[in-house]
Amino acid sequence: MSDWGAFGAFVGPFLPELLLLAGALLVFLLDVLEVRRVELNGAIAVAVTAVGLLLVLADLGVAPFAGLALIPAGQIDSIVTPSSAPLYSFTSLGLVFQAFFLLSALLVSLGSMSRPSKERGSAVFFGLLLLATLGMMLVGVASDLLFLVLAIEVVSISTYLLVAYTRRDARSVEAAMKFYIIGALSTVLSLFGVALLFGAFGTTNLYAIEGSAVGTPTLVLLGYGLLVAGLAFKVTLVPFHAWAVDVYDGAPHDVSAFLAGGTKKIGLFAFFLVFIGPILLARWGASFNPLGGPGVEIGPLLQVLLAVLAVVTMTVGNLLALQQKEIKRMLAYSSISQAGYMLIGITVATAPAVAGATLQIFAHVILTTGAFLVVAAVAALGVGARIDDWRGLGLRRPYLGVAFSFMLLGLAGIPLTVGFVSKFVLFSSAIQAEGYFVWLAIAGVLNSAASVFYYARVIKVMFLDAPDPSAPPSRPEAPGLAFEGLGYGRAVAIGLVAVLVIFFGIDPQPVLGVVQSAAQHFVLVGP
Amino acid sequence: MTTLPVGDLVALASGLVAISIFGILTRRNFILLLIALEIGMNAAILTFVYFAAFPQCVTAATCHPLTGQAIAVVVIGLAATEVAVGLAIVLALHRIRGTTNVAEATTLQL
Repeated sequence: MSDWGAFGAFVGPFLPELLLLAGALLVFLLDVLEVRRVELNGAIAVAVTAVGLLLVLADLGVAPFAGLALIPAGQIDSIVTPSSAPLYSFTSLGLVFQAFFLLSALLVSLGSMSRPSKERGSAVFFGLLLLATLGMMLVGVASDLLFLVLAIEVVSISTYLLVAYTRRDARSVEAAMKFYIIGALSTVLSLFGVALLFGAFGTTNLYAIEGSAVGTPTLVLLGYGLLVAGLAFKVTLVPFHAWAVDVYDGAPHDVSAFLAGGTKKIGLFAFFLVFIGPILLARWGASFNPLGGPGVEIGPLLQVLLAVLAVVTMTVGNLLALQQKEIKRMLAYSSISQAGYMLIGITVATAPAVAGATLQIFAHVILTTGAFLVVAAVAALGVGARIDDWRGLGLRRPYLGVAFSFMLLGLAGIPLTVGFVSKFVLFSSAIQAEGYFVWLAIAGVLNSAASVFYYARVIKVMFLDAPDPSAPPSRPEAPGLAFEGLGYGRAVAIGLVAVLVIFFGIDPQPVLGVVQSAAQHFVLVGP
Repeated sequence: MTTLPVGDLVALASGLVAISIFGILTRRNFILLLIALEIGMNAAILTFVYFAAFPQCVTAATCHPLTGQAIAVVVIGLAATEVAVGLAIVLALHRIRGTTNVAEATTLQL
């Protein structure tokens, strides 16, 4: 019997992951049994991600669910000795990110479950969506570089196929091919980086690396440099960003929502895991690790590199977003520039900065997922992809117009939206840190101001411009469907995002409290 | 027994990765591109195996002498999976376009 107890204690904390796996297998099994209904597959995906989200929130001790916690309280944020070198460890920041990943998957599943019922490939879509989410969850608990690379690879391989799941659409397959080529390049770079760090420190474990002696300088420099490049592709930092726009543009809309809102964040969490350690080592020196570790030689250099990448990414992303005529490409570039803001938190690497970046990631997860779901809904109504095609849309489709306006205002960081709270926490943390970090905050504020222009332009086009009389009329509304022919799932997902944007903008405390305590712990005990 | 100096191994592996990156970025034929990807993966595998016998690993408490080899086996599996998915995508592309040439797939460049 004690064997079962030990097994349960080992497996129990991974119940959300196991649920995702079971959901994916069930969806594939139903497809083999020729039960092909989009609603059913969607319902499975929604149920599995919703229950998973609930369990992760319970593990985080969020008030109404805390009784359901699966991970014993002592195992979260426990201090890990470098010599124990665990493959995975539960940090509250990792759990916060798991909640973000599940939220994104939940919104996308909700948004996709009301597509045409006879559509082929829905099992592939929902199955791969769940498998990708499983990989993302594993990234959230990784504390070993090899574990991290493998988990990222689970996500990558699922998403390559997810982009091409329609199979007959040339644009999607081309987007998948581009995505694959860049993803393969990124894998080669990060794997080689891990191999060199293995040579420098004799281990791939993040705790062990940070507790070890100073490694061979060349190997450490090359290793961390290659890891920055490899992971920067995932985060779409400039100059590693060019693929993202084509892929988000060519992929089916729901998949773009998941890529921009969900999977991109695994790269950011990998940045947290891998690079904050050396920066902290450099700051605290001997009091943290008397042997020196990788921080002494690499920490300050890494900080400057990330600061430059942050400023370049937000500026270039914004400048290119200003010129876009298509709504999806505009959102793609805006998503690139947002990654620059998040990088500020990793560069500064104090507890408030980590909290600010995490909050910014939360805002971006819901806003970008929601925005791409609106694009999917509008496309389903037969409206074109150019911004000009959206003229007068807000008046003809007030539900979509108002919801999309909330999301754009949130992305721009207008007060009373969650985007304002996150940017406020993030930029003020950079100012508190002083030194050249103040310039990061200034660059961030200037860029936010510039970004208002292209977000507001879409709102103006939707509400103030008269519709183009020569444009073909949008498809007549299907009778019997709620919310202007959107289908229930999509309408609920879009409405949920719009409500969350305002709700957390007015009262951010529920998220802010959890994120701040997680960031505090992460800076103290994280890998 | 003579051993390969670290510098030489790093130079060799870096050269292989450079060839791989060059191949991935410039090859027009998708199959050749996959081969370039394999070269890069193998450079990483080579590095893992080499460093398994390296003093850092042999003396570290957390490292077993076989760790490097074990990682290499895992990475070989990873590389195989990656190539399988690449072939699936290229098959789908071939059905639509009748070509495996990357340069001809340019609908997205606006």
